[in-house]
Amino acid sequence: MPPFTKGSPMSRSRLRFAAASAATLAVAGLLGACGGTGPAADSSTGKAKAAGQPVYGGTLTYLEHQPPTCLYLPAAGFYPNGGILNQITDKLTWQNPETLKIEPWIATKWEIDKDATEYTFHLRDGVTFSDGTPLDAEAVAANFDVYGLGDEKLKLPVAEFVNNYERSEVVDPLTVRFHFTKPSPGFLQGTSVIGAGLVSKKTIALPYEEQCRLRNIVGSGPFTVKNQVVDKEVDLAVRKDYDWAPPSSGHQGRAYLDEIKIIVTPEDNVRVGALVSGQADFVRYVQAYDEATVKNAGFTVYAEPTRGVNNGLYLRPGNSILKDRGVRKALQAGTNAKEIVETLFTSGYPVATSVLSRLAQGYTDLSKELAYDPDRAATLLDEAGWTRGPDGVREKDGRKLRLGVFVAGPQPLSKQTLELVGQQWARIGVKLEIRPADAGTQAVDIKDAEKTAVAHSMVGRADQDVIKSHFHSQNRDVILSDDEKLDRLLEEESAEPDVTERNAKVAEIQRYVVDQGYAIPLFEEPQVYGGAPYVHGVAFEAVARPSFYSVWKSERE
Amino acid sequence: MARYLLRRTAQAAFVLWAAFTVAYVLLQLLPGDSILIKFQNPELGLSPRQIQEIRAYYGGDVSPLESYATTLLGFLRGGFGYSIDTGTPVVERLAEALPATAVLAGSGFLLAVLIAVVIAFAAGHSRTSWIRGALLAVPSLFVSVPVFWLGILLIQVFSFRLGLVPVIGGSALQQLVLPVLTLAVPIAAPIAQVLARSIDRVQAQAFVPVVAAKGASRWWILWRHVARNAALPALTVAGVTFGELIAGSVVTETVFGRNGIGRLTEQAVNAQDTPVMLAVVVLAAAVFVLVNFAVDVLFPVLDPRLRAVTG
Amino acid sequence: MNRPKTGLLVASLVLAVVALWALAPGLFTAHDPIAGVPAEKLQAPSARHLFGTDAVGRDLFARVVHGSVHSLSGAFVAVAVGLLLGTLLGLLAGSAGGPVDDAVMRFVDVLLSVPGLLLALTVIILLGPGTVNVAIAVGTGSVAAFARLARSEVVRVRRTDYVEAAFGSGGRYPVVLWRHVLPNSLGPVIALTALQFGMAILAISTLGFLGYGAEPPTPEWGLLIAEGRNYLATSWWLTTLPGAVVVAVVLAAGRISRSIGRSTA
Repeated sequence: MPPFTKGSPMSRSRLRFAAASAATLAVAGLLGACGGTGPAADSSTGKAKAAGQPVYGGTLTYLEHQPPTCLYLPAAGFYPNGGILNQITDKLTWQNPETLKIEPWIATKWEIDKDATEYTFHLRDGVTFSDGTPLDAEAVAANFDVYGLGDEKLKLPVAEFVNNYERSEVVDPLTVRFHFTKPSPGFLQGTSVIGAGLVSKKTIALPYEEQCRLRNIVGSGPFTVKNQVVDKEVDLAVRKDYDWAPPSSGHQGRAYLDEIKIIVTPEDNVRVGALVSGQADFVRYVQAYDEATVKNAGFTVYAEPTRGVNNGLYLRPGNSILKDRGVRKALQAGTNAKEIVETLFTSGYPVATSVLSRLAQGYTDLSKELAYDPDRAATLLDEAGWTRGPDGVREKDGRKLRLGVFVAGPQPLSKQTLELVGQQWARIGVKLEIRPADAGTQAVDIKDAEKTAVAHSMVGRADQDVIKSHFHSQNRDVILSDDEKLDRLLEEESAEPDVTERNAKVAEIQRYVVDQGYAIPLFEEPQVYGGAPYVHGVAFEAVARPSFYSVWKSERE
Repeated sequence: MARYLLRRTAQAAFVLWAAFTVAYVLLQLLPGDSILIKFQNPELGLSPRQIQEIRAYYGGDVSPLESYATTLLGFLRGGFGYSIDTGTPVVERLAEALPATAVLAGSGFLLAVLIAVVIAFAAGHSRTSWIRGALLAVPSLFVSVPVFWLGILLIQVFSFRLGLVPVIGGSALQQLVLPVLTLAVPIAAPIAQVLARSIDRVQAQAFVPVVAAKGASRWWILWRHVARNAALPALTVAGVTFGELIAGSVVTETVFGRNGIGRLTEQAVNAQDTPVMLAVVVLAAAVFVLVNFAVDVLFPVLDPRLRAVTG
Repeated sequence: MNRPKTGLLVASLVLAVVALWALAPGLFTAHDPIAGVPAEKLQAPSARHLFGTDAVGRDLFARVVHGSVHSLSGAFVAVAVGLLLGTLLGLLAGSAGGPVDDAVMRFVDVLLSVPGLLLALTVIILLGPGTVNVAIAVGTGSVAAFARLARSEVVRVRRTDYVEAAFGSGGRYPVVLWRHVLPNSLGPVIALTALQFGMAILAISTLGFLGYGAEPPTPEWGLLIAEGRNYLATSWWLTTLPGAVVVAVVLAAGRISRSIGRSTA
């Protein structure tokens, strides 16, 4: 599952995915531009936002939905991991979540040669890790040598956000150069993603098991780890000498808060109840049906867009029923995404109008092609030779039109969504067999198109490559693709240096995927947070991981 | 007595070994494995070769028998290996989780016994049939409420609505109140039920009216005669019920977001984190063996008729 | 002595109604338990929807009525597995004594020593989801409890004077076992059965809570309670009303089994 989604058993501590997930991030504060950076942001209490001058001090109690897993940096894509690592590490560059432009951070400037095989970064002077060692060219080189090449002996896998990496070169203490065997145009954005957080040389030299452990992660971020109770709580303390926020941040110097208590609270209603009753200040993963509870109490709902491949159903052509394009198109026409959103979700979950989110790069509007049309669905199924049986389920050659799908733990209200889709499909004579997931069975069966004909998933990432991550047969391969044309299109997109051309290619791919009936996009999935009215300055990176650098608390009313 | 203890110790060792083996075999039969779950997610884009390499790292590519022997030897030496899910030593995870669960389970069990005794004796003592009936219905009522539901309800009412006890933050003691209550209620039920039945039976026996006729108070009779006879089956159930505490702690710890063996178990099952699951099974088995050892030793003490047999 | 009988009557009535739900759900509700009307989602209880509606607009009462067949059969299977296997083992161990007793009880110890929930979870993953598989998993977890109790009762009864007398007067082993030991040991076992019946329903719902329930959209009771809990703050009826039904059924079963226990003990 995408690291950007709330993790399921399957999304636990992955290794390489972080790149695909390659979330961009906005670690340090986004000026005071708090509360809902994205257009989908939905804040009910405007008054709290106006509340005066920031004050220093105080503790933020943040309730997380799941415990962090392995904290090896390239595994940071998983939201509970990212929520911690985003506060304790810095990156070479900073991707502005509004413009998606790459801006300076630890690197003050950089040069890239014309074929993108050589990157030179000039580092900020005086930056130190929390163990006192300098964040210099040698440290950066050590980090990227591991992210780019992995380390067999230490069992450290390669990070997905670095491609074609050859070697590093320490030019002088504040200048580092990276060499690539082939053009690597995505590397600059790669240095800004959550998984590219910089850690001390001592940390990066540890074996995998040790780097998984939070206590061994020494970064240069605005907070440091003070205390950890595994699976329960992580306490972060402010780093008083922190003075290297991205230059574009309005707030410089140390973070406002003294401390952050991240407490794992898996029960949805306990998280929301604790927030509303004043026992917590900020919570992740507010379910759609709880948004009203939060708002009615005068609290703020932050619905942050994830800017990638939409939450949807992905149909696998390798399945013996779904190999027929007509059947896939029929299911697409027979699915009413609007009804799903209106029944189960809120305005924070816009109905999908394409494979990609409207905020994704290269998005193109395909809402006409995706219109709900049950009559056309029925016609298509008739034409494909599937006729209604006595129980209303269509049959062909004595075989029932039954398709299996797993409940996707990380997707919000996946079970209810699938039940509703099942109702809609029942009307056109298709039986959707919904299976609750246990991780082992799912890990085996999800690769089998016969058993798992349909996949419910999404991926967030603020880069054109997100569509390749989702569909390419060598990446996540959500449809278990055997379509060479699709793979070719995705590779062309990925290698295209010109932005306009690249976006055009992304549009072509979306059209192709919809035309082939590979995707039934449902909605643009946000990450939904709830915050107390006296909490100000929460910022989010491009795929909705929170940053607490600029957060401060005013007096409770 | 020494021979008896020796025999019991051998039995305990056998149970531990058998529990380990049964768990090991069951875990081997499960579809997929933790490495597959972690890495063979098609969305991660790892090639089968890379997964094979990772499996080799973790020693997951040796024959089942060889792996069984290695794991068993490791356990005998007190090394439980690494959690595949988090990469931390299993021993460390257990050590971190154990104290919290011990406190929770211990307090829960004490409270449960207290509740059970109060209910059973109040019912046994009561002369009014409808009060008796109502009291006897209480254990059934207790077990007919799902534990997770009870926990959530207690939180909603006492913490969120009335604001009496915080669930987030607050002192260690405050954090213990609601979970202990949640855990104790369903465990009190079977103990109370069996206790009440045994009291019934003894009360119906011929000697009770005789003793009562001699002027003994009903309370005195209950204590002297009933408690001793009733204690046997109640003790058996209590021993058995101890296992329920583990299940109870899984749910309670999840609902209250507490750290402990229960949470660890649930997460390990989810991720098929075999080393952790094996360690939990062996730990639970060890606790079980100890508790039941104690129960068995107490049996002859409570029932003189059994003394000759085991003594 | 009128009140207890009233209680028994009410209990029988509850079980009879629920049994009818399982046999002929169509008599009680016209709504479809699987296909809802999305526009009518999350409605509070009313004359049209007795128990209100859920997040997908399905009538909750219809789901409870149609779910009874899944839940009752699930609980029956679970208790049957535990009761049959457990009592047999306990009877064997308690009456045979000696090495047989030892062997059986060590086996039971192994079963007992593995936490029931962990065992149930493992069995479900092995067998796959589904009402019957979940029931078997839950039943496996209770075998040991039944065995231990049955054994302790048999040991106790065996030492009572009349059973010893029966042996003494030359009664054959199986006959004494069947005539004297079994009926006299049965009381507490039935008491435990009453509790286990409820526990089975609850254990199934606990598994649902942990994410190992029946396949959606099966309207199994435990799953209804487990999933409705998320809506406790906003739509109280989703977890409360199925919960009340379960409590009523479990209480009724307990009441009836107590009176059985009393007449046999």
